[in-house]
Amino acid sequence: MATPILNRREAFAGALAALWIAPVVAHAQAAAAVPAWTPTALSTDEARTLAAACERIIPATDTPGAAAASVPQFIDRALAGWCEPQEAERLRAGLAGLDAAARARFGAAFAALPPERQDELLRTADAEGRAAATARPPRPHWFPAVRELATVGYFTSRAGATQALRYDPVPGAYRGCVPLAEIGRGWAT
Amino acid sequence: MANLNNRARAERTYDAIVVGSGITGGWAAKELTERGLKTLVLERGGPVRHVLDYPTAAADPWDAQYPRGRLPAAELRAKYPVQQRTGYALTEHTRHFFVRDDENPYAETQRFDWIRGYHVGGRSLTWGRQSYRWSDLDFEANAREGIAVDWPIRYADLAPWYDHVERFIGVSGQAEGLPQLPDGVFQPPMEMNCVEKAFKERSEARFPDRRITIGRTAHLTAPTQEQLALGRGQCQYRNLCIRGCPFGAYFSSNAATLVAAERTGRLQVRPNSIVTTLVYDERRQRASGVRILDAETGQEEEFYAGVVFLCASAVPSAWILLNSASARFPNGFGNGSDQVGRNLMDHHLGVGASALVDGFEDRYYSGRRPNGLYIPRFRNLGDAASRRPDYLRGFGYQGGAGRLGWDRPTEGFGAERKQALSQPGPWGVRLGGFGEILPYADNRMTLNREVKDRYGLPTLTFDAAIGDNEAAMRKDMAAAAAEMLEAAGFKNVAPYEGDYALGLGIHEMGTARMGRDPKTSVLNARNQLHECPNVFVTDGAAMTSSACVNPSLTYMALTARAAAYAAEAGRKGDL
Repeated sequence: MATPILNRREAFAGALAALWIAPVVAHAQAAAAVPAWTPTALSTDEARTLAAACERIIPATDTPGAAAASVPQFIDRALAGWCEPQEAERLRAGLAGLDAAARARFGAAFAALPPERQDELLRTADAEGRAAATARPPRPHWFPAVRELATVGYFTSRAGATQALRYDPVPGAYRGCVPLAEIGRGWAT
Repeated sequence: MANLNNRARAERTYDAIVVGSGITGGWAAKELTERGLKTLVLERGGPVRHVLDYPTAAADPWDAQYPRGRLPAAELRAKYPVQQRTGYALTEHTRHFFVRDDENPYAETQRFDWIRGYHVGGRSLTWGRQSYRWSDLDFEANAREGIAVDWPIRYADLAPWYDHVERFIGVSGQAEGLPQLPDGVFQPPMEMNCVEKAFKERSEARFPDRRITIGRTAHLTAPTQEQLALGRGQCQYRNLCIRGCPFGAYFSSNAATLVAAERTGRLQVRPNSIVTTLVYDERRQRASGVRILDAETGQEEEFYAGVVFLCASAVPSAWILLNSASARFPNGFGNGSDQVGRNLMDHHLGVGASALVDGFEDRYYSGRRPNGLYIPRFRNLGDAASRRPDYLRGFGYQGGAGRLGWDRPTEGFGAERKQALSQPGPWGVRLGGFGEILPYADNRMTLNREVKDRYGLPTLTFDAAIGDNEAAMRKDMAAAAAEMLEAAGFKNVAPYEGDYALGLGIHEMGTARMGRDPKTSVLNARNQLHECPNVFVTDGAAMTSSACVNPSLTYMALTARAAAYAAEAGRKGDL
């Protein structure tokens, strides 16, 4: 059998072990703590804001959320080595702006706010994102970009693919018409 | 000294030399070795061992370093400006099967998408695997319409070789009894999903001439003893084919032809061997062998054989001919006709229609089928009803239905959105056309001796584009697809016509065409150079027209047929 590729993602596994076992970082105080990983592209503050925002975009429910699936690390890595630099800058500025809005409106860092306050600020960002997308010509906006990265990062993570979705590495057969109830969830791939 | 030279020459002498190890090189190697010829396969790229050198074949989604396995923007720009143009093929899981464009430059007078991989197995590892026969509608088209030159063969010449190839490679498909798309030796067809079945029923009720069938694809669904004995197994429906199949379930040189050739004990494969020129023996008026540049050592070497098969793919095989100019062949080896490098064709695509489907919400599927629907050509079949006043030839569709996934566009954020994306989305249907491109003499590649690559070898310049015939066909390709989706009662029917530049179909062909007259063609009916009968060209270069179906099956049949002839003629001393 072929050997799976070695990849940087595996290197995070050790640092993340705590998050996999411990209660999910789902609410403000936990998210405001020092991240259990060292960001590459982002400052510590930006990483904290990103982690809190991701957990609201894809919260822990009956399945793990963004933090447990290492989504913030995934995005940090993409910003460091994958996106165009100007796109990474736009996302960083967006996160800084989100944190500044949190401090201006609620007097605390975004990551330290209760979920309802965070959602309020994210709804504003989402509305701005929609306006930017429908402007003529359309303008890029940080929020849909972060949401897109968080969504890809989550549903291609082990937790997202195997718990939120269904994943079968070697199906062995193709059945073209089966009851959805038999599968239960969407296929990861 | 003379003895040493003689011995060196003997050690470098084979019965046959095959240039290239891709889909046709593998076939030439198999047929020639099985017919008793000691054969040397020269491959310009590095080795790829079946299974062992498919490093990403078992990678899971979470093994990707970056989103969806896509390469960093800066790296794509610097190293893969051409290879990334397909939008799907090049990822961190496949990059080892594609060339770096910065190391393999060429010039584009008009955009030309030259998507390729240099390694043992070539593009047989990354091909789309769709396998269709030509018919006499295709072989007779040039003669009937007075386009370019006539093919020197007809379907009857190739039919037994299609049988031979299909039996060995394994093609899953459904017999349909259509004259324009002859049936073959099929393994059991893959299944259509519920929406595809409904689409077939509803669309065929309205357009009975537009047959909807499951794709014919080179995957094993019921392996034969011969296939099992080669170490190949049944398709596991992972749909990760492009990374190399650890089950040997789809056909590749690495999984099949090279294995069979190896087992004869008459095969030698020499990777990292860039064939630069054919060597011509003036006295015998035959090729005596080839000269190579060792890509690792930079040394030039010569190898000798009674017969040479060029199977390097259409563009490199023509490059070798053009680069082998000499006093005898001032315009390129075997190029007295001036047709080498001309008549460059491909299949034009990126045009069709999509739709969404109401209903079937409680239905789903299981497994990842590496195949889709096929709708064979239904235009210009020779009868009045199918005749188009606005263009010649035709197109086929490939497509399929599926439920939208977690990556469908959504707004908002939070638990509700997460829950929604954890369930499959609505059903969608998509049809994409593959259209025939006519052979235009001015669509060509030329050798550029002024600009050299990193080995000091001449580079190529491409100047080719589709014409009015293809442009008119594209309008119909979008409109007819939309019509069928409308007829099926689907919603949000959206015709699309995207950008297309020659090469994007990755079916480049025609650069050393077959024909009846040495003045207007390069190869004869057996794929021999008119001007040097012990050199055969059996890859896409040989094509006199392009038809609209995926070409690899035809290349393989031409190769097997030519190799059988070469072995027989060589034995009789007729080469």
